[in-house]
Amino acid sequence: MVPTPTPTPPPTRAPSSVPAPAPTPTPAVRLTLSRLRRIASVTPRGEFLAPPRMTATAVRLLVQVCLVVYLWRGLYANTESSAGLDETQAVGYAVLAVLAGRIRGLDRRAGRDTVIQHLHFGTIVYWYLRPMRPQRYYALRALGDQVYGFGWVLGGYVLCLAAGVVAPPASAEVAAVFAVSMLLGQLVLYYVMMLVDLLCFWTLRNEAALLILVFAQNLLSGVYAPLWYFPDWFITLSAFLPFQATLGVPLSIYVGRIGVGDAFGQMAVQGVWIVLLALLTRRLWDMAGCRVVAQGG
Amino acid sequence: MNAVIEARGLSKVFHTTVRRPGLGGALRSLVSPERVAKVAVRDVDFRVGKGELLALLGPNGAGKSTTIKMLTGILTPTSGEALVAGVVPHRDRERNAHNIGAVFGQRTQLWWDLPARESFAILRDIYGVPEDRYRERIAEFDGLLELSEFWDTRVRHLSLGQRVRCDLAASLLHDPPVVFLDEPTIGMDVVVKEQVRRFLRHQVEERERTVLLTTHDMTEVARLAERVVLINHGRIVLDGPLQEIRRRFGGTWQIRATLADAADLQEIERQERFAVGDGSCGSDGSGQGRGSVRGDRPDGSAGPGGSAGPGGPFGGQRDLSSLPGFAGIGVLRREGPRVVFGPVGDGAPSVHEALKVVIGRFQVTDLALEENDLEDVMRSAYLSDVPGQGALAPEGSSSSPSSFSSPSSDPSAPSDPSASSDSSSSAAVTSTSQGG
Repeated sequence: MVPTPTPTPPPTRAPSSVPAPAPTPTPAVRLTLSRLRRIASVTPRGEFLAPPRMTATAVRLLVQVCLVVYLWRGLYANTESSAGLDETQAVGYAVLAVLAGRIRGLDRRAGRDTVIQHLHFGTIVYWYLRPMRPQRYYALRALGDQVYGFGWVLGGYVLCLAAGVVAPPASAEVAAVFAVSMLLGQLVLYYVMMLVDLLCFWTLRNEAALLILVFAQNLLSGVYAPLWYFPDWFITLSAFLPFQATLGVPLSIYVGRIGVGDAFGQMAVQGVWIVLLALLTRRLWDMAGCRVVAQGG
Repeated sequence: MNAVIEARGLSKVFHTTVRRPGLGGALRSLVSPERVAKVAVRDVDFRVGKGELLALLGPNGAGKSTTIKMLTGILTPTSGEALVAGVVPHRDRERNAHNIGAVFGQRTQLWWDLPARESFAILRDIYGVPEDRYRERIAEFDGLLELSEFWDTRVRHLSLGQRVRCDLAASLLHDPPVVFLDEPTIGMDVVVKEQVRRFLRHQVEERERTVLLTTHDMTEVARLAERVVLINHGRIVLDGPLQEIRRRFGGTWQIRATLADAADLQEIERQERFAVGDGSCGSDGSGQGRGSVRGDRPDGSAGPGGSAGPGGPFGGQRDLSSLPGFAGIGVLRREGPRVVFGPVGDGAPSVHEALKVVIGRFQVTDLALEENDLEDVMRSAYLSDVPGQGALAPEGSSSSPSSFSSPSSDPSAPSDPSASSDSSSSAAVTSTSQGG
């Protein structure tokens, strides 16, 4: 049997018959990773290059933790339980709140790197002159800040555990749920802080209003004191705001105020806040982009 | 001219709320705020070709920076169109970002807490500059700006001059064909200024970058700019070579000569009589007296005892153009053997050319020269209320070299010239209610 000759492909098809080398993603991926690393590490690099600033941070944390421990132990000196919490829970909550405040509490002001400073000095224009959307740049910076801040929190947590100031989670299950809730809380915090920063585009000359907003955020998120010490109307009010989803919920899970069974509902609420805030801030970025006007020449 | 930067009828109107006076007014303003439109830039048209350096000049608040911000895509024009390297800047900011570099005076784009070199590395990654190209450019910029002396210092510790040099390098790391420089040398010492000027010349001449520069430093303009666009009250007043600004706004010279020969004086007298009879005295009839001497002093003002002349403040010249070689030269004043020569009309020669002619023709026993410096000319230009967009088109441009078109009138726009952007030197950035 004569084999049927295989038709040769037309010359124009020749290139397609030989599979073209697939574009190797390596350089692009490498560039993306390098870009991510560089931008995310701006704040940490600035801190590493300023050892006095890091020392001050360590001292401040130490002092704050000590004061908080003495304060809450003093409050519980004559009582076993208050607002349904014992001393270990209350002290643990307060110490973790102080530590967690460090995650995004970096001193960008010293580096002239807050959004309101960029707006004030006019350097925000460069955010709009680069081939990277400002919100992406903002996100990468925030990621770096939060990862770096998390390092501090982890170090402080280990020390507090060793010193017996904070009790470990009641179980592995609680630890896991706490970790997830904390991650969600950090996302909510990221969007809340972004919201405050974006408001600067509209309230440049009203820094006091922004400070009040930051204070309210800390108060309502339970950084200053656990929310259950506040009156009922305050707790009801805060339930309709995103702030307690940032720290109040995960820390309550950690100290056992919110049981694992109830935690999922709370985490769903955190998820809803993330979606709502993401949509809102996205819209605000678009609007802010139309309002970037440097005054004075 | 193949335009790299093109502005067509570019206008920007800011809307602001005005607070009424008093407590009642403040409350009323809260309920029904009064909105006011401020025209920062109106109907701006110009083109800049490849490898051209254009100086955008004007007094504070004239609309220069607003124009630059529209061309960089930071601001969206209220009307008109901007095209930079084929991209509409505000519509495609990211693509535009690859085509342009920008330095805004004292506003640094470097990260305050990091050494300048780390800022360069961040920008390299943001712009996706290949490593080998990055190294080449850094080496080139270092050679021209001596960056390596201080690039390992944190930006917060750099002097202004060092920081702006780093900013210039940072803005060019991605090799943009177009560069916008908004008062880049403000506050620098003369040595650093000169270094920056050399750098800019190199970028224009060797790298063929298109540069749009705003500055108040007239030495810089004289050294760098081939062409200037003068903007005032948001409108282009003049677009042409620097020489044209000198001609139009009183840039002038005087040659004070004492003549030795009575025959020369008689000759001048005869020419004067002829010129006056001819009605030719250099004024263009508009009162602007292009190329004419505005009074006695080089700054264009009439000095004490100055001869404003019969033709008004700019009409005192007696044209000597019927003398061979004296085209564009006239007599401003004469007292006995002392004669003051000055430029007349559009084709007036430079002071050096005129000097050559005067001493070639007459026997001179004493001589003094005076020439306006550019700052005087610019002061005169800024203070003049010349309306409209004057297009003294450079070679290759479509406009007629001598045409000065009137501004297109916009009945809806406020007529108050102060409605253009403010002149604050602060750098605050805020909402659209702020002029700029």
